[in-house]
Amino acid sequence: MHKLSNKKRLFIFILLGVAIYFLSGAVDELRVYQGATVAVYVVGIASIILLTGYSGQVSLGQGALLGVGGYAAALLRIQFNAPIWICFAVAILTAALAGAFLGLAAARLSGPYLAGTTLALAVGLPSIANQFELLGGEQGLLFDVGFPPLSFGEDFTQYKWFFWIASLATLIAIFWLQNVMRSRYGRSWKAVRGNDVAAELAGINLTRNKTLAFTLSAGLAGLSGALLAMTIGTVSPSAFPLALSFSLLTGAVIAGVTTLGGVMIGAVTLVAIPDIAGAVASRFGSSEAVTSNLPGLLVSTLLILTVLFVPNGPVEQLHARREHRANK
Amino acid sequence: MIQILNTTLIGLTSGAIYSLMAMSIVLVWRSTRVINFAQAGLALASTYIGYEAVQLFDNYWIALICAMLAGAAISAFIEITFMRILLKHTSSGPIAGVAPIIATLGLLGIIKALITMNWGGQDVVITPPLSNTGFSIGSDTLVFSPMKLAIIVSVALLVIIFSLIFQKTNIGLALRASAYAPEIARLAGVRVDLVRTLGWALSGASGAVAGLLLTSYGTGAFSPESAEFSLLFISGFIAAVVGGLDSLVGAVIGGIFLGLVTAFVLMYISSSLFFIAPFVILLLVLFIRPQGIIGVKAGRRA
Amino acid sequence: MTRINRRTLISASAVLVVAALTAATVPAQAAEVGVSNSEIKLGMTLPMTGTASPGYNKIPGAMKAYFDYLNANGGVNGRKITLKVEDDRYVPTEAVAKTNKLILQDKVMALISPLGTANNKAIAASVNPARRGVPVLFVNSGFSGFTDTKKYPTTYSILPSYVMEAKIMAEYIKDNFAGKTLGLLYQDDDFGTDALKGFTQAGITFAVKVPYASGSQGAAGVPAGWITKLSAAKPDVVILFGVSSATAAGLGTAAALKYAPQWILGSVGGDATTIKASGVPAGVLYNAIGASFAPATTDATDEYVKLFSDIYAKAVPGSAFDNNVLIGMNSAFVAAQALKAAGTNPTRKSLMAAIDAKGASFASAALIPLNYSKTSHVGYNGYWFGKYSPTGDLKPVDGKYVLYTTDSGSGAVVKSTWKRPAMPAKGLPN
Repeated sequence: MHKLSNKKRLFIFILLGVAIYFLSGAVDELRVYQGATVAVYVVGIASIILLTGYSGQVSLGQGALLGVGGYAAALLRIQFNAPIWICFAVAILTAALAGAFLGLAAARLSGPYLAGTTLALAVGLPSIANQFELLGGEQGLLFDVGFPPLSFGEDFTQYKWFFWIASLATLIAIFWLQNVMRSRYGRSWKAVRGNDVAAELAGINLTRNKTLAFTLSAGLAGLSGALLAMTIGTVSPSAFPLALSFSLLTGAVIAGVTTLGGVMIGAVTLVAIPDIAGAVASRFGSSEAVTSNLPGLLVSTLLILTVLFVPNGPVEQLHARREHRANK
Repeated sequence: MIQILNTTLIGLTSGAIYSLMAMSIVLVWRSTRVINFAQAGLALASTYIGYEAVQLFDNYWIALICAMLAGAAISAFIEITFMRILLKHTSSGPIAGVAPIIATLGLLGIIKALITMNWGGQDVVITPPLSNTGFSIGSDTLVFSPMKLAIIVSVALLVIIFSLIFQKTNIGLALRASAYAPEIARLAGVRVDLVRTLGWALSGASGAVAGLLLTSYGTGAFSPESAEFSLLFISGFIAAVVGGLDSLVGAVIGGIFLGLVTAFVLMYISSSLFFIAPFVILLLVLFIRPQGIIGVKAGRRA
Repeated sequence: MTRINRRTLISASAVLVVAALTAATVPAQAAEVGVSNSEIKLGMTLPMTGTASPGYNKIPGAMKAYFDYLNANGGVNGRKITLKVEDDRYVPTEAVAKTNKLILQDKVMALISPLGTANNKAIAASVNPARRGVPVLFVNSGFSGFTDTKKYPTTYSILPSYVMEAKIMAEYIKDNFAGKTLGLLYQDDDFGTDALKGFTQAGITFAVKVPYASGSQGAAGVPAGWITKLSAAKPDVVILFGVSSATAAGLGTAAALKYAPQWILGSVGGDATTIKASGVPAGVLYNAIGASFAPATTDATDEYVKLFSDIYAKAVPGSAFDNNVLIGMNSAFVAAQALKAAGTNPTRKSLMAAIDAKGASFASAALIPLNYSKTSHVGYNGYWFGKYSPTGDLKPVDGKYVLYTTDSGSGAVVKSTWKRPAMPAKGLPN
């Protein structure tokens, strides 16, 4: 894989930012909103790629960490009317703290035990909101990032503003994540993932290594959760269901769980496929039962086919094919 | 006094159901090192087949046998066609841990969608064969009824049968060998693929029993979106982890433990803690024993 | 023939030309979004699949049944009403995404009966139908906050709020069960805690309160835990403020454990048809008290129930006519009247103005009046109490409908003598 220099990468990211800026002006409001949702998933999926792809720990509870970030941001905004960037920063830090605790507990757990624990977390954490009045209960809390600055003009919609904020946050987060993955931390995660005995013999502290991955991954998840809260204007337990954790995991698998390159593909798939499946279903659906369940059936089938035939993601598949051709 | 007794009974009987699901999960884990997230979906499908059997034969116990056979057959079919391809393509790297989860989740979605398209989304009822009215002690009523007794007996029977199979027969030995060291087992003459399918088949049968008994725990009504079934897998999985994924006895102990602690927490702390309690229980148990209550610490493979 | 004066001819032509030009430049009546010459499009989001969907996923079929009946009888001022339904799986993120699709892509005229408090709050905060001027008709939620016309200026509620129901139950208890010990079994989300606030406000104290986590009512052993707790405290009267599945589970388990207090069932979970379909024998419901704002779905003597169940049976054969169906068809019926009252060229503004001005006099199946006005977006504001018969049908206590009405604030509970007017011919808007 090419290793681009940091300056070149920065340049590419800035180019991406400019492209997004022009894109946001060219598409309609619905697509802009979907773009913001894609950004949410990009950060969420990236957090899973870090945790599972790089550090090899399977978590079924990333949705709960998104919830921690979302609630932290909302509470800060409601209680202190803090500026949005501070709300996001606090969301990241709070979720990272939760991740640190979780990581310490998880470091001793292997595969399915970790999966079970994070599953229980995903199911249990959202219902805490019903126990404390401060957390707003089932109906949730508002998270209002405010209207876009008037200087942008009358036609600048709220959703475009969401898209800009989400895109900026995402670009920064992914750039940062790439830096981390190329650093010695990234190499040490890969080492542990490959062979943890050898890694330990080489001097890597397993517990610290795994906990760090959890912490950083949770921080990203917290950012994703705060962005999610922004796009729906609220936080509530039902916004962070178990299905969210599964969706992110799915997106990571579709993206290629070991590489960051496919993360856009995963995120766009998560947003686009249910839409397309819904359109197909209403075209072909006969009875009510069929029309409502066909999208679920299509998405599940697509998922299984992807996992069976493109398990490492499209990016890895392409590299493998290129290598195969090169070796011939 | 009666309250404590009843809470214990609630814990035992609900724990028995969890144990059944936990056993299914452990069976699949032990034979193929995979957590099958479609387990409850398969149980649901088997239960619907049981429903059709009740319509046909008008006998609950025959329907139970039919459901078990159906569960075994469907699970075996999935193992042969689906899981083998999956595990071949995703045998190494972090994808190996995640792919079966995602794939079986996809399977769950397909099963549920097909069930809803075929039987509709409304409740259907399998009338429990025995009464659910509690036994009376003087002026108090126990949370224990002939049906609940049957549930406990069924679970105990299954545990005994499965344990016998695993400990005393060659098949059981082969199952354990195939899971831990498939290549060596093959060299020793074990038909690894056959044995793996058998593991899934047994798991499917056990899941079918869990599904049917779960409906009989209450009024016998269920639908594809019944919360009972969605919760069943999660509770079963947590029970399996608490008990230690390595043994069927562990699954039962985990199930009973989870059932009892949850019942007491709900009764004496707050009954709205249903979703939080399992997480806390899990954390506490795994903090003390990361491999579960009677799990075996995985040896380091240098 | 008189010689046509040239000047007259020229001036006449000039007038004609000017008239033609002006007519051409006056823009043709701009059709409202979602309104064409032949069709009015409405949009709806609710859980069609997923754990929250049972029961609710019958509502679109019910509403479509009524709209199809209406369309076959001329529609509304010659336009057919089409309902576009989107599945949000009860997740706010999806509710927002699907609502955006309905408003921005499908370009519906109005939203109708979006379901769920958290979902509606997210839709209001993110999609902001108020800012876009999109009417949100008859929200399917009992959260009293949606009637705040400052926060939700284009939103109209229809269901009585949970707070109203609690206050009214409290009044009924004071009238009929003064001095008895009370127990409460309630869902621990906004549904139940709002009710608890209402009870507390009304001065009711409970000897035992049993909250349950929403979604846990289906788990093995959980309902048994509720009954064990309740029977330990032995209250005379137990209020069950839960959803249908919890009500069915609670009643069924209580019967199995031979625990028989005087049950008072909340309206949301009290639909006899749904409870009986969940396998609870009718005898268990016998003598329980239930609150409702609509006629009982088993009341074949009610003209609305007869007509609606006929229409539904033809449209969706084999499906039970339960509360979800009745309330869905009723909302469709009220919406149709609102659209008719909006005029021959309905706009979003004229639709809302019509509800404000005439909504209180719209016909509806409910036995409680509608309360729409320029200052109020409150729909139904009360309940009547009934007792379940040996066959599990809800019948008014002592055979007479006594209506209790109140507000979601601190207003008193008032007994009303309002009588539901006769149904318009064939159940069509007149």
